[in-house]
Amino acid sequence: MDDPDEQLLERFVHGDQDAFESLFRQFEVEVYRWIVRIVRDSAAAEDVLVESFWRAYCGRARFDPSRSFGAWMRRIATNAALDQLRAARRRAQWSGAEPAAPAQASPDPGLRAAVAFAFRRLPPKMQAVAVLALVEERPLAEIAAALDLPVGTVKSRLSRANARLRMELGHLGIRP
Amino acid sequence: MIDDQAVRRLLQSALPPTTDLEPARDLWPAIARWRPARSEWPWLDLGVAAAVVLVLSLMPSWLWLLAYHL
Repeated sequence: MDDPDEQLLERFVHGDQDAFESLFRQFEVEVYRWIVRIVRDSAAAEDVLVESFWRAYCGRARFDPSRSFGAWMRRIATNAALDQLRAARRRAQWSGAEPAAPAQASPDPGLRAAVAFAFRRLPPKMQAVAVLALVEERPLAEIAAALDLPVGTVKSRLSRANARLRMELGHLGIRP
Repeated sequence: MIDDQAVRRLLQSALPPTTDLEPARDLWPAIARWRPARSEWPWLDLGVAAAVVLVLSLMPSWLWLLAYHL
């Protein structure tokens, strides 16, 4: 998406609320889709979207209008999405509602459930890298920019996520 | 042993890629509610400060009294 003109971004940085709404209207769908890719839940993604734009507004003084608003917004949204994944994980642990491991992995729906179960057992940062790289097939550079990490770190995190998934799947008896 | 390509295929079958999704409702009102209220002049604070300046300009010796209490 084209970045908005610098004048609009300057107005946003200075707290102009019409500029903020204009930026929200321009970027909401793009940011929402990015968040859905990470949290995999459209209702939760709406909450994360609101939280992300709110964080952006609170942190507007730190934004450099000569930089890409879309990239900055994606970084904020990624952090908010990771917070959502961590919160969901904590809620599941406290409530004891963590899904039970599927008993059998061979029939297709059972296999999908088992893989989803193994995926949800990854730490949130690994989940984000794995889903963006392996499922959504986003370029590593884009993932690195969104996570504010060097590409090399993303590669090593992806490699660890792969190893961890293989281990989890192995525990569930999945050996394709 | 499952290789990386197999992990990718399994993940893609379990978590289908998301495409062309959009928020189901207008979320701007929710953001406007969350957003801190418009920063307004703190009129009460300004009034107190103005009163203090006025009193001190009329009675400079009260500065010591004020300093003692600060």
